[in-house]
Order: sequence, then C-alpha cells, then structure tokens
Amino acid sequence: MTDTPNKPESGQLAISARQLTLSLGSDAAPVEILRGIDLDIHEGEIVALLGPSGSGKSSLMAVLSGLERATSGQLQVAGQDFTSLDEDGLAQARRGRIGIVLQAFHLLPTMTAAENVATPMELSGANDVRSRAEQELVSVGLGHRITHYPTQLSGGEQQRVAIARATAPRPQLIFADEPTGNLDVATGHEIIDLLFARCAETSATLLVITHDPELAERCDRVITLADGKIASDTAKAPDA
Amino acid sequence: MSAGSPTISWGTAWRIARRDLNARFRGLRLLLVCIFLGTGALAAIGTLTSAIEGELESSGQVLLGGDLEVEIWQRGLSDEEIAFLGQYGRISGGTRLQAMATVTDGAAPVELKAVDQNWPLYGNLTLADGSVADAPQGSDALLAQGALDRLGIAVGDSFTIGTARLTVAGIIGNEPDRLSEGFQLGPTVIVAEDVPQNAGLLQPGSLYESKYRVAFDDQALDPEVVEQALADAFPQAGYDFRDRNRASPGADRFVGRMGDFLTLVGLAALVIAGIGIAGGVSSYLEARRGSIATLKVLGASSSDILRIYALQVGIAALIGSIAGLAVGILVTPVLGAALQGLLPVQSGFVIEPAPLILAASYGLLVAFAFAATPLLRARTFPAMALMRSGIAPLARDLRALSWTVAGVVAICVLAVVTTAQPLLSSGFLLGAGGALLLLAGLGFAIQKLARSVPRPSNPLLRSAVANLHRPGAPTGSLVTALGFGLASFVLLAAVQSAIDGNIERSVPDQAPDYIALDVPVAQEEAFRSLVDDNAPGADIVTVPTLRGAVLAFGPQDNMQRVADLESIPDGAWALRGERGITYADTLPPGNVLIEGEWWDAAQNDERLVSIDAEFARAAGLEIGDYLTIGVLGIERDVKIANLREIEWENLGFNFTMVFSRSAIADAPHNLSATISLPQAQSNGDRAGLLRAMVRQFPSSSVIEVGDVLTQARTILEQVGLATLAAASVAVLAGLAVLMGAIAAARASRMYDTVVLRVLGASRRQVLLIQLAEYGILAALLALVALGLGSTLAWVIVTQLFEFDWLPDWGEILVVLGLGLAIVIGFALAGSLPLLRAKPARALREL
Repeated sequence: MTDTPNKPESGQLAISARQLTLSLGSDAAPVEILRGIDLDIHEGEIVALLGPSGSGKSSLMAVLSGLERATSGQLQVAGQDFTSLDEDGLAQARRGRIGIVLQAFHLLPTMTAAENVATPMELSGANDVRSRAEQELVSVGLGHRITHYPTQLSGGEQQRVAIARATAPRPQLIFADEPTGNLDVATGHEIIDLLFARCAETSATLLVITHDPELAERCDRVITLADGKIASDTAKAPDA
Repeated sequence: MSAGSPTISWGTAWRIARRDLNARFRGLRLLLVCIFLGTGALAAIGTLTSAIEGELESSGQVLLGGDLEVEIWQRGLSDEEIAFLGQYGRISGGTRLQAMATVTDGAAPVELKAVDQNWPLYGNLTLADGSVADAPQGSDALLAQGALDRLGIAVGDSFTIGTARLTVAGIIGNEPDRLSEGFQLGPTVIVAEDVPQNAGLLQPGSLYESKYRVAFDDQALDPEVVEQALADAFPQAGYDFRDRNRASPGADRFVGRMGDFLTLVGLAALVIAGIGIAGGVSSYLEARRGSIATLKVLGASSSDILRIYALQVGIAALIGSIAGLAVGILVTPVLGAALQGLLPVQSGFVIEPAPLILAASYGLLVAFAFAATPLLRARTFPAMALMRSGIAPLARDLRALSWTVAGVVAICVLAVVTTAQPLLSSGFLLGAGGALLLLAGLGFAIQKLARSVPRPSNPLLRSAVANLHRPGAPTGSLVTALGFGLASFVLLAAVQSAIDGNIERSVPDQAPDYIALDVPVAQEEAFRSLVDDNAPGADIVTVPTLRGAVLAFGPQDNMQRVADLESIPDGAWALRGERGITYADTLPPGNVLIEGEWWDAAQNDERLVSIDAEFARAAGLEIGDYLTIGVLGIERDVKIANLREIEWENLGFNFTMVFSRSAIADAPHNLSATISLPQAQSNGDRAGLLRAMVRQFPSSSVIEVGDVLTQARTILEQVGLATLAAASVAVLAGLAVLMGAIAAARASRMYDTVVLRVLGASRRQVLLIQLAEYGILAALLALVALGLGSTLAWVIVTQLFEFDWLPDWGEILVVLGLGLAIVIGFALAGSLPLLRAKPARALREL
C-alpha cells in the first residue's frame, strides 16, 4: 500500500468526549440512551466496547462515528468538533477519516465487491479508485471476487469486503459494531485477524463493539458500558 | 485523503447512480411505464392531430377540388353568375343527385356525380388499376366497385341510368374530392356533365345539387372575399359555400371534438401517471433505504443522495419518455389507417417536432413534479436506519412538497397555454385537483375512522383495521391510486356503453325500407299502385319535397337578412343555405305542436309556416314573426303560425319548416316517399320492386335505408373504437398505478406477514387479513370511483361528442366489479410467494 495514512501525530487524542448525552424518542417522553459519557481515546489505540444489550454501546459508537448527533456534551473526533456539525457536516467529516464495519455487513447489493470498496473513496473525491479498490480486495484475500455481487459471496467474504471498504480510504478511525456477530467462530477469528492487521497496516485507531471476551482480550483497552454510562475502563498492561 | 467538496461532482454521482441502478430498472418500472404511457399517449395524440390538420390544410384544395365551392339546389348557376365567378379563375361545374342504375336483371341506388371536362381542378382521379383518368366523356361512366358488384357488371359492360345508356369505362380507385362530398347514400358513379339532363333526371322540382368549384388565378385571394362578393351580387340566391380552408367541415368538426377528447384523455393519463410516478419513486426509494443509509455511513451527504437518486429517476424518466415518443410516432400510421375514410391523415410516419417536444416536456415535468417530494424526503433517511428498525415512517417534509406544488402549477400552465381549449383543460385540471383532494380527504377519513372504531375482537379483522391506520400505513396513497385506477375502469365502461347506446338508438325500431325521391306529383297514384302490386301490404307515406333557403327572418317590420349576419347563431343551422322543405294540411306524424295552432287549410289561404321549436329559440323567432323564403329564385314572406317539437330519430320525413299549401305548393316540385315493406317480403321480391320502380319512374331514385344505416353504424362504430383505443391509455395507466400501489403496500406488509407466520398464523389467516383490508378499501372506493369516472364520462359524452347520456349501468358495474377483482386478486396473488416460503427463511430475507 503506498498511501500515507490519515493519521494525526503520535500522542494526539483521536476522540475526546465530555459529558455526552443522547436522548431518543419524542420530547414528551424522551428515552436517555447515553448519560454523561467522558472518554478520551488516543490515536492508534485498539479499544473494545463491552456491555449488556441496551447499555448504549451501538449508540455511543454512532455518536463517536458521526452517525448520530449527541443531544448534549462536547465531542472532538480526529481534530474536528462533532458537536457543532449538522448531519451533512458529519457526513463530510466521515469521508476518508472514519471507516465503519457493521455486524450485518451492509454492502450495497446492486454493486460488485470492487464497486462497494470504491464508493467511499469516490465520495471523498479520490482518483484512480477502481484499481485501488481492486488492490484492497486482493489484500483482504478476495482478488478472485472482484466482480462478484454481495449475494454471490459468503458471509465471511462479505465482511472482508466491508473491511476493505472501511480501510481503503486510509481512515484515522475505524469503528466495528460486532463484526463477527453474523459469522461462525472460525470465520469470526479470521475476520478479527484481518481487521487488526488492516488497522496495524494503516495505524488507524480501532473501536470495536463486542460480546466476545476473547476479542476484548486482544484489545489495548476495554471499556464497559452499563445503563448509558461507562461502568469500567481498563487499559491492558503493556507487553513486557 | 481529503474530505473533498461538500457535494460530490455530477460525474461521481452518475458513476455511483449507474452502478446502483439495476440493469432492468427493477423498482423503477412503474415510473418507466407511467412516463411511457403518458408521453406515448400525448405524442400519439399530438402527432395524429397534427397529421390530420396538416393534411386538411395542405390538401384543402384537392379535398375540395377547388379554392371555393358554390353549391345550390335544383338549378344550375345562371350565365351571369358563372361570368361573375369566372373573373376569379377557372370554373368546374357539375351536379350531384341520387339515381338508380339498372341492368337487365338488377338495379342499384347510386350517387350520381356529373362533372365537366375541367374536373378535377386540383388532384387526380386514380382508377383501381393505378392509372390516372380524366373526367368521363359521352356515355362513359366511372363506377365505384360497390356499384359494379351490385349490378354484377364489369369494365366494358353497359348499364342504364334514367333514360341514358352508359358504358363502364373504369373503376374508381381514388376520388380526390371524396371527403368534401360528405355522407353518401350509395356507391359513386361519375359521368359527364350532360348525362343527368340527357337521362331525364333534371325535371323541374327534381332534387339535385349543383356544385361549381373555382381555382383562383390569384392564389393569394381570400375565398371569403369572393363568397361575400357573390352573395352581395346575387342576394336572393341562397348559396352554400365551402372553401379550401374548410374543405371538409365535417372532418374539421370531428377533428376539433376528437382533439378535445384526446386532450382530456392525455391529461387524464398524465394525472394518473403522476400518481403512479409519485408512488413508484416513493416505493423505489423506500426499498433503497438500506443503500441510502449505507452511502451515508460511507460519507455521502444529503445533497449527494439527492444527486445520485435524482440521476437514477431522471434516466428512467428519460428512457420512458423516449420510448413513449417512439411509440407515439410508430402508432400514428396505425391510427391513421383505422380512421381511413373518416378523416384525411398524412400517410406514413409523421414526425412533428412541436407535439413531440410538448409530450416530452409533459413527461419530464410530471416526472420531476411527482418525484421531487419522495426524492427530497429521501435525503433525510438517517444513516442510523441501519442500526435501528427500518420500519419507522419519515416525518412529513413540507419543503419537499412545495417542489411538487410548483411542478404541478407548471404543468397546469403548460396545459392551459398549449391547448386549443383552455377552458376545457382548465376545467378538467381543476376537476382532477378536486378529485385528488377528495381522495386525500377520504384517505385521511378512513385512517381516522379505523383509529376510532372499537378494536374488533377477531384478531384477523383487528389486524386488517390496524393496517389501515398504523404509523406509516400506505392508506393515503392506496386510496388515491385505487380511486383513480377504478375510476378509469368506470370511465371506459361508461363512455363505451353510452356510445353503444347512442348507436343502438340511432337505428330506429321501425325504419322504412326505402326512401324514393322525385316521384312526380301527378303520378302519386300510379306509384302507390306499383308498390302495392309488387309488395302487397307495404306502408307508403308521401310528402311534397322542395328545396328552399331562409333569406330573412324576424318581426315583419324589422326583418334581419341572413346574408347580413356576421355569424349564424348557435343552433340556428336552418338559416344556413338551402334545405328540404314541404307543405302539409295537417300536423306531420311524430311531431308535437307545442305552441300556436295548426292551420285550417280549407278556410285559410294565408301563407303560413310551422317551425321547429329549437330552431325558433336559437334564431329568436316567435309566433307571428315572418320568414322570407327563397324557392327556385322566388322570394316569399310567410308568417310563423306555430312551433313544433320533432322526433328526429325516427328516420321518417322530418322538416324544420312545414309550410301551408298556399305558401309554396305552386312551385314546381315532386314527392318523396317512404316505403315500409311487410316483414315477409323476400330479397327476391325486394329486387323485383326496385326493378319495377326504375322501369316505371326512370327519373326517380331510391335510397336503401338498410345500407345507409349500416354506413352510419360503421362510422359511429369507428368513432367508438377510436374513443375506446384512446381511453384505454388512461385505463392502462390506471392499471399500472393500481398494481404499483398494491406492490408498494405489499412490500410494507412483508414484515408483518413474516412475523405473523412466525407467531403461528396459517396461510389462510394471513390471506384473510389482506382480503379484509383491501375489501374494506375497495368497497369504499368503488362508490367514489363510480362518481368520478361517470362524471368525466358524462362530460366527454354529452359536452364533447354531444351525444345523449345513455350509459349501461349494468355493464359499468360489471366492469367496476372486474376492477375490484383485479385489485383484490393482485393483492392476494402478491402475498403467495411469501406465504409459500418457510418462516425461518423469510425472516432471513427481511
């Protein structure tokens, strides 16, 4: 890979959140999803986000990745103030800086694997996207699936395409929401290995939502959410 | 990597749009079909109308056989009149009359057309073998194939008309001035100018028409100026005029009415297509929610989404429009062939830029107007839809609605500005707007009602009622689509059955078998005896027949000259030129006296007239007013004695003006007779009667009423067929919209159906829920559709075609029932694939 990763200088904060809240539902009966989140994640960190169902993991990821606007609080992501941006501003901020991998893959069904990978690069105005997309697919082991449509791919292959799509623009941050949730154990392991390898290659910060303790064990830091608040935040001791 | 500009370039948007677009336009087919039908209908209508108008305009001289035609009854033009006309150009004169052609063992009523050697002044007479022929000379005659068939003769054979022996010199292929000759009462026989006179057919009082055509030396000369000059020079003549700009007034009128009707059909197709487009784009984008959300996750802004999907909708609209235009051009020759004989249409493919541009503009404008709202709403599909349930409805977007309103206003302005009938089009558009509002209100009311009724204890019914009002329920769009779709069924059935009703009624129950013209008054008894001898028991009615023109009318001290009128008042058609008149001592049968009293012929020798009450109303005439009537060049003032109501449909002798014996009986004239044969009369007996009549009354002619009725029926059926074909476009659009709406609603039902199946509902139960939901909607909408469709049909039948409103309600209800069956059948059939699938598998596919 020849591109320079979109990565800030070492030691900078990739994410800085202060007193983040998120309420959904009507004004008359709001439901508080996130209740005062304070969080700093440094660039290059690999963070696991754990918590029981309904604890607010996916919502926190949505706010941090700019998919959802926080109801209140301050949020800086990759040097940008997300709290001051509207939805289109957030979309623009995501382009090229943030990659997202979802549990259900969410590939565009009408596009081939290469076209799926090329799309975010095209949205960010990059050149030569076709050949770069094909290279990305080769690097995730799908050189033989370039012109295949999502329905012609297995679940594991679809998730590989999704990872290639998320990492192709060389984002500073990658968010993964239970990326192995729809896969069998063996394929899940392969996908995690690939995700970690791609993050290492691109020096991207990774925030991964998981229920899998084994996966959490491989991360630099484990944050546990409960009832919309951070219940614990444990950094793994550096390897000796 | 930079984040790039706030909005992606059109090039990038197009690349993504093209990739995301299914090669077979899956999901956008309803849009395609609606645009195709709307644009195709308008292109075909515009091209056909232009082709007819173009032909009428460019071939006016040929169709008329001159620049100006002067018609007059029962006499030829005087030398003085001919000299007056001759100063403007070359003249061709001749006569037209009914006659009987006979051979030894056969007779046939024919339309005799006697022409001079200058005929035709414009165009060529082509024979059936393709050769071009001049006007016949001497005893030569050119016959239509129908006359040859009837007489059983061929080229070279002889036959007789009156006392003249003629020879068949050729078979008529194309008669250049055929359309301007009007309705025919028999096949044409073209002969030399002097044949009618030599055959003894032009006796004093004989009913014949003289036609003089002029080919102007100065082509820039306005025919109306010459008409006025001739009328001023010979004010008592009572001419009828036609000119190259009105070569075939019947065709002009027909084109005008058909054009209005087709405009309405085009607008109806547009309105229905618009509803289909809105529904089609909505359901397409609804199905694309996941992709839109994914694109947003990948960094697409709302403007990017708008560009990408606007391009997809735009390309589908463009392809639909182009296909519609192509079909519009391709079907014109087919429509032209169907209208052959009725109207002149340019042959071959006609490419008229103006109607094509207009049709494409309408198509694209409708696509824009009705796609704008769903497209603008699609921008607001949240990226988070991927993580949360996708079944929640979107909030209403009034700003998005404003684009649709602006588009609709633009369409209305375009429709009103470009139509020849702005009032009609405006009325229709207002009506369509009203219908849309009505249906929107109905949709709202159904939802409100469904919400407020107590929840049924039956779970199936409860689910069906809940489907009508739950958040995101497609009830509103379903009501609109079903309302218009079913209304189009009613419209078609009502128009068709009303036209059929008019055709049926135009064929009277007891029409005479023959009408005999020019029976000499002195030989009435001989005529009756002859008919009695050959057809014992036949019913014979005779009336004196003359031709006369109203020259002036009004109160005796303030008569208005017809020649001085700028235009003939609506409905006062009897003021125009010469027409048949009669005299009678008693009220004619089938007439009803509604004002005044009938004269006592024995005691009153005052010159009196009885006139049609409708004509009196139109001309502003009252009892006691006077008419100046011109009969064979003599003027007479007659006093209006009474007003009658006439039953025109009975095909007997009906006259607008019936005079007292003292008023006109001294003018040379003949009798006309109707002959009603006994039911048992065989074809052989009928042929014998015809031969006997021709032998004994060679100067008389006979019209076979059965043939005339067949011809009239054929024309009416052609009109009916053209109407049916045109209205079918609206029905096809309605059907497409109907199915599109149901398909879209079905997609939103899929989730419920799968969940219900998982919870243990049987296939039958799921089908029953659908049946109940659509049954409730369809039952309510059937009444609305009946009202909407029949109102529009009433406008078309009574206001445009000026036919009577004679719909067959039984047939309409059957067709409406068929429409309802299609709705319910389609809704149920659409559920079958889902019902066949195993619940677990269906769940995975959600």
